Amino acid sequence: MRVFALAGRRLAASLPTLLIILVGVFLLLQLAPGDTVDALMAQMGGGGDAQVAADLRAFYGLDLSVPAQLGNYLWRLVRLDLGFSSIYGKPVATVILERLPATLLLMASALSFAFFFGLVLGVLAARRVNGWPDTLISTLGLVFYATPSFWFGLMAIVLFAVHLEWLPAGGFEEIGAGYTGLRRVLDIATHLVLPTLTLGLIFLAIYLRIMRASMLEVLNLDFVRTARAKGLDETRVVVKHVLRNAMLPMVTLVGLQAGTMLGGSVVVESVFSLPGLGRLAYESVVQRDLNTLLGIVFVSALLVITVNFIVDLLYARLDPRIGAGG
Amino acid sequence: MNLSRRAMLSTSAALASSVAFPELSFAQEQPRRGGVMTVHFATEQRILNPSLQASTGVYIVGGKIQEPLVDLDAAGNPAPCLAESWESSADGKTITFKLRQGVTWHDGKPFTSADVQFTAMEMWKKILNYGTALQLFLEAVDTPDPHTAVFRYARPMPMNLILRAMPDLGYVSARHIYEGSDIRQNPANTAPMGTGPFRFVQYERGQFIIAERNPNYWRNNLPYLDRVVWRVVGDRSAAAAQMEAGQILFSPYSALAIADFQRLGRDPRFDVTTKGNEGNARTNTLEFNFRNPVLADIRVRRAIAHALDVPFFIENFLGDFAKKGTGPIPSVSTDYYPGPDTPQYAFDRRRANALLDEAGHRRGAGGVRFTLRLHPAPWGEDIALWSTFIQQSLQEVGIRVEVVRLDAAGFLRTVYNDWNFDLATGWHQYRNDPAVSTTVWYRSGQPKGAPWTNQWGWTDAQTDQIIDAAQTELDPAKRKALYGDFVRRVNDQIPLWMPIEQIFVSVFNRRLRNYANNPRWASSSWHDLWLAS
Amino acid sequence: MRFLVAYLRSPPAMIGLVLLLVVIGMALSADWFYPRDPLSLAGRPLIWPGANPRFLLGTDNSGRDIAAQIFHGARVSLLIGVVATSIAIALGIVIGALAGYHGGWVDDVLMRVTEAFQTLPNFLLLLVFVAVFGSDIVTVTIAIGAVSWPAPARLTRAEFLTLRNREFVQACRTIGMGDGRIIFREILPNALPPVIVYASVIMAVAILLESALAFLRLSDPNVASWGNLIGLGRDVLRVQWYVSAIPGVAILVTVLAVSLVGQGLNDALNPRLRKR
Repeated sequence: MRVFALAGRRLAASLPTLLIILVGVFLLLQLAPGDTVDALMAQMGGGGDAQVAADLRAFYGLDLSVPAQLGNYLWRLVRLDLGFSSIYGKPVATVILERLPATLLLMASALSFAFFFGLVLGVLAARRVNGWPDTLISTLGLVFYATPSFWFGLMAIVLFAVHLEWLPAGGFEEIGAGYTGLRRVLDIATHLVLPTLTLGLIFLAIYLRIMRASMLEVLNLDFVRTARAKGLDETRVVVKHVLRNAMLPMVTLVGLQAGTMLGGSVVVESVFSLPGLGRLAYESVVQRDLNTLLGIVFVSALLVITVNFIVDLLYARLDPRIGAGG
Repeated sequence: MNLSRRAMLSTSAALASSVAFPELSFAQEQPRRGGVMTVHFATEQRILNPSLQASTGVYIVGGKIQEPLVDLDAAGNPAPCLAESWESSADGKTITFKLRQGVTWHDGKPFTSADVQFTAMEMWKKILNYGTALQLFLEAVDTPDPHTAVFRYARPMPMNLILRAMPDLGYVSARHIYEGSDIRQNPANTAPMGTGPFRFVQYERGQFIIAERNPNYWRNNLPYLDRVVWRVVGDRSAAAAQMEAGQILFSPYSALAIADFQRLGRDPRFDVTTKGNEGNARTNTLEFNFRNPVLADIRVRRAIAHALDVPFFIENFLGDFAKKGTGPIPSVSTDYYPGPDTPQYAFDRRRANALLDEAGHRRGAGGVRFTLRLHPAPWGEDIALWSTFIQQSLQEVGIRVEVVRLDAAGFLRTVYNDWNFDLATGWHQYRNDPAVSTTVWYRSGQPKGAPWTNQWGWTDAQTDQIIDAAQTELDPAKRKALYGDFVRRVNDQIPLWMPIEQIFVSVFNRRLRNYANNPRWASSSWHDLWLAS
Repeated sequence: MRFLVAYLRSPPAMIGLVLLLVVIGMALSADWFYPRDPLSLAGRPLIWPGANPRFLLGTDNSGRDIAAQIFHGARVSLLIGVVATSIAIALGIVIGALAGYHGGWVDDVLMRVTEAFQTLPNFLLLLVFVAVFGSDIVTVTIAIGAVSWPAPARLTRAEFLTLRNREFVQACRTIGMGDGRIIFREILPNALPPVIVYASVIMAVAILLESALAFLRLSDPNVASWGNLIGLGRDVLRVQWYVSAIPGVAILVTVLAVSLVGQGLNDALNPRLRKR
C-alpha cells in the first residue's frame, strides 16, 4: 500500500515535467515545414486537389488555431484520451499498445544483458586490477563504448545473417509460420539476439566501467577489511558485502539512462526492422502525425518515470542506510 | 488505336529486358494449387482501400481484395471485371455499366448496383485522388435494377477516357460497410472487404499483412494460391537479403537498391524486369524556380542542362533500367511520343561555361559564379544519386550547389507551396496520357500548393495554348502532332528538364508462374498467379 | 605539473592522446592530401579498396573517393564534437549555476525543465529538431548541443549547492559583491573541473549522435561526414560492405581517443580534487 501512495506522489510530482514536455513538443512541431496532409499527399503521389486537401485538414483538425488545437489535445489528455493517429487511422492508444511489447522486450533484454555482463566483467576486472584480465576487459569496454550502434548492427547482419546464416537479418518473428507456445518464444528470441547486442553494447561498456570503479572503492572500505581480517573467504566477502554496495551507482545509472536507451532503440529498430515504439516515433515525425508522436512522448516519459521509481525502490532495498528495507 | 497499342506493348517488351516472356516455356505446365505468395511491402500506407486512395502502395494490397469495374487484359485493353459490359449514350453524357451477377462480398452479402452508386458518389467523386477530377461532372448514378449502374454526367465523358481510368480509379467498396459512417474513419479502410480473389485476414503494423484465398470467388476454382503475405521491410538491403533467402518472392516498384537489381539480375533464381510495369513510366526532373532572377534567364537553364553528362550518369549509376530521356513525354508512350528530334542539350561543358559567361555570371572567388539550393525529393535512391551528380557536375562549371534535404512533408510544402527553392528534383510519373499527368507541370494557373504541377512561376502563352488545344482535340493524329509541338516548345524553353526516363523495376522469384502478364500487374488481382513447387 | 606527470604516466591516456592527434592531423592535412572537394566525382562508383591505386580506400556509390571523405570527415566530426560540446557545456553551466546559486523557485523551475529534457529520449528530441529546423550542419550541431546540456547542468548545480555556503562565498557577500561576480569569478572556477572532465563524454556522444542522424539520412548532405558515408553504404551493404565499414572504424577510433583522453584527464585531476 505504501508503495502505491509513493507511486502516486511521484507521478503527481512529475506532472509539471510531463506538461512541459508535451506542450514543448507540440509547439515545436508547429514550426515544422509541412503537416500530416502534405505527408499524405506525398503518399498519394499526385491527383489530390485543393478541396480534398482542405477536407483532410478539417478532418485532422488542422484548420483550428494552434492554441485551440493544443487546448483540445490537453483536454482530451485529461480524460486519458490520446487522440486519433493520422498515419494508422486508429486511436493512438491502440497503436502504441501494439508497438510497446517489441520495444519493452528489446529494452528489457538489452538492459539485462548489459547489467549482467557489466556486473560480471566489472567484478572480474576489479578483482584483478591492473592485471591482464583487467586491461583486456577495460579496453573492450572502451571499444564497445566507442562503437556506433547502428554500424555494429549492420556489420553483425553482414556477418551473422548474410555470411554465416546463423541468425535472421531482421523482423520480430517469422511471419506466417504460425508458431505457438515455446516454439514462438524461441523464434522471437533468435530474432532479438542481434538487436539486444546492438542496443546493449554501449550500456554494457558503461556499466562495467562503473562497476569496476565502485568495486575498487568498496573493496578499500573498512568493513570489507574487517570481514577479510575475520578470515572470511574472498568470494563470500565479494558476494555478501561488496557487491551489494558496489551495485548502488549502477542501479542509479539504469534510471538515468532509461531515456537514452529508448532513444537508442529508434536506430536499432530501424536497422533490424523491428515493429517497436522507436520506429513508430521516427515515422510519426516524418509523417507529421502529431497525436501519435505526442502519445509516444507521453508514454516514454511515463516509462522513464516508472523505471526511475522502480530504481528508487531497489535502491532503498539495496542500501541499508536508506529506508527500512535493509 | 488498337494497332498503336500493340506497337507500344512490343516496344516496352523489347525495352523490358533480354529475359522477356520467361513463362512461355512453362505454358504447358499444369497450374499447382496452394502455396503462399510473399510480397515486399516497402512503405506502410495509412489506408488499404483503393476506392479511397489511388497509389501503387495501396493497389499492391487492396488490389487483391477489392476489384474495379473494368480491368486490363494481357494486351492492355479494357476487360470486364465487376462490370460485364458498358455503353455510352450518343451525347456521351450517360454511361451504362451492366454488372456481373452472382458476385458476393467476402461477408456473403450480394454485390449490387447500390454498391457502385455509393462508391462512385461518396468515394470517387469526393475523396479519391485523381477520382475527384475525373468525376467532377458526375451528377448521379442511377440504379434501375441491381445489376445496372447508369452514370449521368453534366458534360460528355469520352468512353475511352473512362475505360482507361477505371482499372485504377474504379475500385468498388461495399455500401453496407460504409454507409452511415464517417468514411475516413471506417475500420474497413485498414481491414478492407471486397469481392476479390483474396480476403483480408490480419494487418500487424510494422510487420505484415495477410490475406487468404476467397473460396467463393466468382471466377470458378480461382485463385490458385492459399495466401498472400505482405512483409513490411523498410530497409532496402534487408529486403534484398529476404529475397535471397526466399522469404520474399516479389519486390515491386523499384524498392530495392540499384546495386541489388544488378546483382540479383545475374542470379538465375530471380527475374529482374520492368515487365508488368509498362503502365508506370517515370522521368527524373530538374525543376527551376523562376522567382530567382538567375534561373529566369534561359541561358542559365540551358547552361545547367549542358553541364550534366546524363549518359555517363545513367551508365555508371542507374544501370540497365534507365535510358536518356528527351523531354516530358517518355518514349514508351508510342501514342504521343514525338520522337527524339526535339530541342536537346548534349553534354558540353564549354558551351555551358560560355552561356554562363554570356549571362554575365563571371567566376568569383574559388571559381564560383553563384550558389543555388537544390531540393531533392526524399523518395528513391536514384533521386539522391542524381542530386549528388547535379551538385558535382554544376561545381565543374562554377555553380555551387547546396543540397537541402527534407522529409516528404517538408519537401512538398517548401517546394510546391512556399516556393522556397532554387532547384528541385524528383519524379514525374507519366500516366499514359499527357493530359492526365504531364501538362499540369507546364500549364500556367495551377492552384498554389498543388504538388507536381507548375509552381515554377513560369507562364508561356504559347505553351498554354497548345495544351488547351490538345486537351479538346478529338482526332488522335492531330492530338499527337499537338503534343509534338508541346514537347518542342517546352524543351526549347526548359522551365523544367526531364533528361532521364525509367520504368519501375520488379524482382520476381522464378518459382512464380503467370507473373507480369498485364501492364499493371503489381496492382492487379493475381487471381491466376501460381507457385511452382 | 604534477597533473601533467600523472597524465603522461598512464598508458591508456597516452594512447588516446596519440590517436586523437592522428585524427586531428588528418583533419588538418585533409586539404593537403586531398585538395579536391571530397564530394566531387572522382571515378567510377564502388571501386574496391586497393583495386585502383588512385583510390586507396575505394570509392562509394556516388563515385566519390572514400579516403578523401575520411580525411575531410575528421574535420566535420571534430568540429561537430567541439562546437556541440561547447554549446552544451555553456548552457549547462549557466543553467546549473543559476539554479544552484539562487535555489528556491529559480532552482525549481530550471530543474523541472532539466528533468523534462532528461525524461524525453534525447535522440527523439533530436529527430524533432531536425524535422523542424532542417538538417544543415549548423542546425544539427546546435541541436546536438541543445539536447546534451542537462548532465553538465546537474553537475554544475551540485557543485554550486556545496560551494555556495562556503566561508569564502559568505565573505564575498558580506563585502557586497554582486551575484554575477560571485557566480562567475568566485564559485565557477572551483566548480569547473568536474564539468570540464565530463566534456569528453559529451563530445563522444555528440559524434555518435551526428553519425546516427546521418545514418537515418537526416544529416547535412553537403559535408563529407562519416555518418553520411555509413548511411550511403547501407544500400550496398550486402556486397560492398567496406563503404560502411571504413567510416565506422574512423568513428570508433575518434570516439575511443576522446574517451581515453577524457578518462586520463579525470584520473590525473582526481587526486588533486580530493585533496582540495
